Amino acid sequence: MMKFPSAKKMTLIAGAVVAINGFFPALWILFTSLKTESELMRLPITIWPAAPTLGNYTRVFVDQPIFLFMWNSFVVAVLSTVLCVTVSALAAYALVRLRIPAPNVILSVLLAVAMFPLISLMVPLFSVMRDLQLLNTWWALVFPYAVLSMPVCTLVLISFFQDIPRDLENAAMIDGCSRIGALWHVVIPLTAPGVFTAGILAFVNAWDEFLLALTLAPRVASRTLPVGITLYQGEFSFPWPIISAALIIAIVPICIIIAVFQERVVGGLTSGGVKG
Amino acid sequence: MKKRIFLSLSASFVLGLAMSVSTASISVAQTTLRIFTGGQQRPDVMRKIADDYEKRTPGVKIEVEVGGATSEQQQQYLNTVLASKDSALDVILIDVIRPAQWAAAQWAEPLDAFLGADKDKIMARYLPAYREANIVGGKVIALPYFADAQFLYYRKDLLEKHGVQPPRTWAELQAGAEKVMKAEGNPNLSGFQTAGAPIEGTVCTYLVPMWGAGGALTNAQGQLALNTAEARRPFQLWADMKAANVTPPNLAEIPTDRIRQNFQAGNLLFAMNWGYVWQRTQNDADSLIKDKVGVVPLPGFTADRAATCIGGWQLAVSAFSKNKKAAFDFAMYLSSPEVAKAQAIAASHLPVFPEIYSDPDVLKANPWFAQALPVVQTARSRPVSPAYPRVSEVIRTNMNAFLAGAKTADAALADMTRDLSQVIR
Amino acid sequence: MATRLSSLERSERRLGIALLAPAFALLSGVVLYPIYNLIRMSFSENKLTEPWLAKPWIGFENYAKAMGDERLWEATWHTLLYVIVTVPGAVALGLGLALLANQPFRVKWPVRLGLLLPWALPLVFAGLIFRWFFEYQQGLVNNALIWIGLPPVNWLTQEGPAFFAICVAIIWKTSSFAALVLLAGLQTIPKSLYEAAEVDGASKWQQFWEITLPMLKPAIIVALIFRTITAIQTFDIPKAMTDGGPGNATETLAMYIHKTTIDSLDFGYGSTLAVLMFVASAILTSIYLRHTRRDPSAGRH
Repeated sequence: MMKFPSAKKMTLIAGAVVAINGFFPALWILFTSLKTESELMRLPITIWPAAPTLGNYTRVFVDQPIFLFMWNSFVVAVLSTVLCVTVSALAAYALVRLRIPAPNVILSVLLAVAMFPLISLMVPLFSVMRDLQLLNTWWALVFPYAVLSMPVCTLVLISFFQDIPRDLENAAMIDGCSRIGALWHVVIPLTAPGVFTAGILAFVNAWDEFLLALTLAPRVASRTLPVGITLYQGEFSFPWPIISAALIIAIVPICIIIAVFQERVVGGLTSGGVKG
Repeated sequence: MKKRIFLSLSASFVLGLAMSVSTASISVAQTTLRIFTGGQQRPDVMRKIADDYEKRTPGVKIEVEVGGATSEQQQQYLNTVLASKDSALDVILIDVIRPAQWAAAQWAEPLDAFLGADKDKIMARYLPAYREANIVGGKVIALPYFADAQFLYYRKDLLEKHGVQPPRTWAELQAGAEKVMKAEGNPNLSGFQTAGAPIEGTVCTYLVPMWGAGGALTNAQGQLALNTAEARRPFQLWADMKAANVTPPNLAEIPTDRIRQNFQAGNLLFAMNWGYVWQRTQNDADSLIKDKVGVVPLPGFTADRAATCIGGWQLAVSAFSKNKKAAFDFAMYLSSPEVAKAQAIAASHLPVFPEIYSDPDVLKANPWFAQALPVVQTARSRPVSPAYPRVSEVIRTNMNAFLAGAKTADAALADMTRDLSQVIR
Repeated sequence: MATRLSSLERSERRLGIALLAPAFALLSGVVLYPIYNLIRMSFSENKLTEPWLAKPWIGFENYAKAMGDERLWEATWHTLLYVIVTVPGAVALGLGLALLANQPFRVKWPVRLGLLLPWALPLVFAGLIFRWFFEYQQGLVNNALIWIGLPPVNWLTQEGPAFFAICVAIIWKTSSFAALVLLAGLQTIPKSLYEAAEVDGASKWQQFWEITLPMLKPAIIVALIFRTITAIQTFDIPKAMTDGGPGNATETLAMYIHKTTIDSLDFGYGSTLAVLMFVASAILTSIYLRHTRRDPSAGRH
């Protein structure tokens, strides 16, 4: 055999490639958030901040109630994720396992929703939310976000549910579980990576969304982070250092959530699953 | 029995009295007005002004709603709200380029009825450009809140060092820039910058030199007049500047604020930009050119013919407001000389009344306002048209393509004429 | 042949419909009316800038206008280019990242985070960051070019380079989504398959072609379908990077719709464009679905 670098080294290199690809703009934002604007404009450019300052972070907290925006974003993202994953899991299960007439048509209808450009649905959506008196509440965003992520979540879950042998469920049902019981106790745990992925997709979709949030919940009390961050912008000016600091503050919670989720929840669930 | 009735009556009377005392302010305050302002039109100053207004007009409560930071984000939101005829907003701050569009869309309540017989007298107090911008088809669509215009900022220290006078013509500007750049020998120093990215500011990059050459987009009959020599001048001017390396090779990617940033970082000699730049160069802690900045009117092709674009913000009363009269009264207050002065001092907003520019308190806070008045007085409106967004798009897209080198001057002008002729006559 | 369903089948069908009900309730509540409104509006003359022209019904006039709209065809062509380049690009890069990230790391979260960060960055800001990277003077790319002795490039103001820069940004941003879906797929492939292949003496390369790819096919299809749908709607990144410039050279369909409805307030024609874009995405996705035509209930094997 040829001499390859040891497996451990290869693994390390692989990890480094993925991490660098993901981290380099984040690092750029981090460095930028520590610079003053005039340093950012300096020629030749500097990569590492010459005189690091935390002033931008202070501005982030002083200029806007960013913790409130973060809380709003968090609540909206969690609620819409839970709603979306629940609804999508039920629908995906029905499409995969239960004898629904014309499942392909139903799936296509679901997918079609994702194909309408959001911008052109804005005015009627606004009217719907106004008539339901939901404008400037979390719910004005929770429902549309759940719908926004539903097609992708359903599709991801379908592709995972298809892998579960029917026998496993049948065994559970013989043991006295109902259909729903089998879904909850057998199918969901076995497809944990899929459910987790669907959840992350829905969560990040909701966390990032800008256009709907700007239109349906623009007031301070319900304003979300992406809309909040753009408020550091001027009519003409785009203060990169301050916006970078705000972005870092926006990204950190996601990172923590993912890190915690990753090791504790998914790690635990998959260890006993199909991987075996 | 009788006694009990009496007791309960008196009790309720006392109770009622007590309540009416404790709730006096609430029972009078029946009107809540919501004013919409952008994140950059100093909502904090607006709040203070609104507090004063609440004090002097019992019964009115003001809520300040802060929208997105850029004109575009605000429009995105307002389009949705107003297209669905929502009554949530009473007074709305709009960009100076919008009144015609708002009048056509019937989003702004015409204010003539409220202004009554004093209409002409009231409107005559404002700077002429603002009077014209806010009267559409004979109707007053909005009231001016504060002014803005484009200026020529220059590096006072560098011009003095190399014995160059602040330019009054484009030729002087180019010659001065070449001289200073050559003598400084700094490869990072750029001579002149104006907006070149496909953004609203680039409309002025075309219009200002055209006006400066004595041209206009439309002739006296309101017809499109792009077949003139003047309509060609801007292309020639920017091509010359580019050939002389006075403007940088990437002018077509430069948005408004990048000009200020380059200027403030010491990498730019002449900057064509809005009023906010002065404030930033003087007050930013990291400004490298504090006390090294001068400001003059934009140059023309001859020294006596300068032109500039007006900017600024107007107060419109929403056509869907449920309290139009109260909303008008508040807008009227915001558009008063008293508030203009307060704004000028607290936020350095350029006043819409000529006399405020010479107010000693205002001048103490903003010494450069003395130079700003003649500029604002001669500033011109971008074309007033309900289809202005389309007009703007055509001009900026073609100008951007020309500056990028993607279109020749002939092609850009021909495309501009073809597309504009669909919306103007 | 099965004209009569057994009672078990009937109760399953009832349950199935009950399980689908929440999804459809949500859909009808949130998007059905807006979509109905959109389609109705596409048959009307509805310009807010010229309300006096408003006509509730003009039939297919808007559609006829669209067919002759040169700018629409240009925007469609640009959009198609983005689809052709960025969909395979993002899925291929995503597959590479997923395979790398699926290595047995002792500490998983930094890698997982690296996989997710591009996606966690709001789209608008990702576009702005890449605009900065590709800027002429201060951009990292040009500074790197100068550093290795090459002349700087005007990335964002020339048609070809601007298209390239936008594609790089889109692929970077969206490969993260593909990688997530694919990584989840990788994790459900039983290890025993590889062990058996190892015993049979299959090389790593053979294992990839014989086991990984076939087992990953459903996940790849999900990634492709969704990447295609989102690629057709490409908006934020070119908007932030060039705003369609130089001229209209990098303008996409979604940007044109946005300009028509939000800037020019032409709701009628804007809706028509949106409906046309929907039809285009429906055709493209149905091609995919046809290629992979399976009853979702049929299972994979």
